[in-house]
Amino acid sequence: MRARIVQGEDVLKIVDLLRQDHEVYAPFYGRGRDSYFDVVTDTNRDRIQIHVPNPYYPPKRFLLPHIERLLRIRQEAGDWKLEPEYNQVRRAIFGIRSCDVAGINHLDRYFLGRGFRDIYYEQRRRLLFLVNVVCTDPEADIDKSCYCPCADTGPAARGHFDLQLMDLGGEFMAVAGSEAGEKLFTHPIFKKGTPAHVDRRREILDTIRRQFKATTSWFSAAVRYISQGKVLDKIWEEVGIRCLECGGCTFVCPACTCFTVSDRRLSDVEVERVRIWDACALTGYTRMAGGFNPRKAVHDRRNRRFFRKLAHYFMQRELSMACVGCGRCAAVCHGDVGMPSVVEMIRRTTAAKEPHELVRA
Amino acid sequence: MSWFEPDNIYRPKIAILDRVVDEIAEVKTFFWHFKNPADQEAFRHFRPGQFAQVSIFGTGEFPASLPPSPTETETFFTIRQVGSVTAALHQFKPGAQFGVRGPYGNGFPMESYQGQNLVFVAGGIGLIPLRSGIVYALKNREKYGRIQIFYGSRNPRDLMYLTSLQEWQKADGFECHLTVDRADASWSGNVGVVGGLFKKPGVSIPVENTTAFVCGPPVMFRFVIKDLVAMGFKDHQIVSTLERYMKCGVGKCGHCCIGVAYVCLDGPVFTYEQIQKLGEDI
Repeated sequence: MRARIVQGEDVLKIVDLLRQDHEVYAPFYGRGRDSYFDVVTDTNRDRIQIHVPNPYYPPKRFLLPHIERLLRIRQEAGDWKLEPEYNQVRRAIFGIRSCDVAGINHLDRYFLGRGFRDIYYEQRRRLLFLVNVVCTDPEADIDKSCYCPCADTGPAARGHFDLQLMDLGGEFMAVAGSEAGEKLFTHPIFKKGTPAHVDRRREILDTIRRQFKATTSWFSAAVRYISQGKVLDKIWEEVGIRCLECGGCTFVCPACTCFTVSDRRLSDVEVERVRIWDACALTGYTRMAGGFNPRKAVHDRRNRRFFRKLAHYFMQRELSMACVGCGRCAAVCHGDVGMPSVVEMIRRTTAAKEPHELVRA
Repeated sequence: MSWFEPDNIYRPKIAILDRVVDEIAEVKTFFWHFKNPADQEAFRHFRPGQFAQVSIFGTGEFPASLPPSPTETETFFTIRQVGSVTAALHQFKPGAQFGVRGPYGNGFPMESYQGQNLVFVAGGIGLIPLRSGIVYALKNREKYGRIQIFYGSRNPRDLMYLTSLQEWQKADGFECHLTVDRADASWSGNVGVVGGLFKKPGVSIPVENTTAFVCGPPVMFRFVIKDLVAMGFKDHQIVSTLERYMKCGVGKCGHCCIGVAYVCLDGPVFTYEQIQKLGEDI
């Protein structure tokens, strides 16, 4: 991949460049340590944060909005007319973290692969430009629940972005991940780099990898136990007891994809069909007409979330894991049954139960 | 509307209701056709056991089995009134418009059953998803060995597809056995559960080179599977169709997952062997 160097004072000029033909979203601080992605305007442009805690509301909403209209359905002289609406807005996300880039890669594989292509997703994805910023500031960027090195998605994404920026201290290394990203390099703010820059990048990454506080490097064990069906029922029951069924973990997850579809009346002759984020934690998720619910118990539903994310079968199917190590589920969960703690529970309890047979001499 | 019209997996095609036939209490059969003849032609090539998504605009969408066989000319759904959308459909009069997407799912691999004996075991409205396979086998009678149907319902008034049943009882090379849990004055046939028919004098079920189709309420399903396995059926010789809450029908919404399988993509037809390996109870 081709790289260039951008001076620190020039880095927001990339936002200006993108704003010429994109609606650009960037991270901002809220009133406290909270942060959020917002549209960049002339007034807030100077408040864009390069180093900032990753916003809870994941950027997957630019591809799979919280509520998205699929069809406008109108009745005209007895006939129903269906009008789909597709995204026409060219958007760019400036400052998306490596974990969320991996999340979007997973969504791509899920919505665009496997036979049926989701045209609503495709129209949004086609017009989306991603500027990845590598987390290099251990104070601002890395939260206590981040664990991307364990999910192998960060701190520096290896692909699936258009442009990647990494703070080398006063200057940034820009890496192009697509043709569209490389086209930006014609602008004079992008200058040629030296081998010293590449060395500096490597040094910083080497240091930053040691700055992560939550290291859940037990994924492979959890994947193996779940895929082999070795996790004890009482672990799921324990997880179920601690789950408050709020659905928070799925809504903040950059790799969760479930949605429900609902018809809403707009007028006497018009309805809209929308899709809305749904969560496997909620009781109604599997309830069928007539009331039968195959996953009535909380722990069955919790089991579902972790099975879906960690079972080997699904990784084979999508060629990527539905957990990217962003740590949001751990940060929002009131019952402390986010991914890192559940992986730890599975590993500790199952490993202790593994049978060992002594070989007689 | 935008200038391009891409392939949209969530967009139903408009269908028009032709006529409604009462089957049993709360169950009606809706005969319909697509408004656009090209849609009708594209839909015609479904496989027995597949399903479609039915849209009642303003109320919602639900998955429905396709009871007609592709060898029949008419398309229809047989729907029990259970929730809000099916209740809305039950109010529909001929000429009303609704939406249909599909066909979806894997369906019964009827081609690969060629030369085999077929045993259909259904309970109650479980006959709806099996009807397509039965009619298909009847139409292609020469391709299969012995064909047997065992069908039971709670009482004589709850027997589905009465005219078809009478036709099948008379059809050559078709063994059609009926039973009811509770008889009334009008009933002179068998009384008891479906599994009881297997042991009836004069009934012999071939096990070698046979596929058994089982569909019905969970209790009936469990007992029939037990009976079949006791007779010597292997798990891979038993097929069934599963149902789940479903929103998209195309493997995106996530609702219908059972363990490792998406019912809409990998099912709804599963062998009993597959069902046991799903990784989650059904």
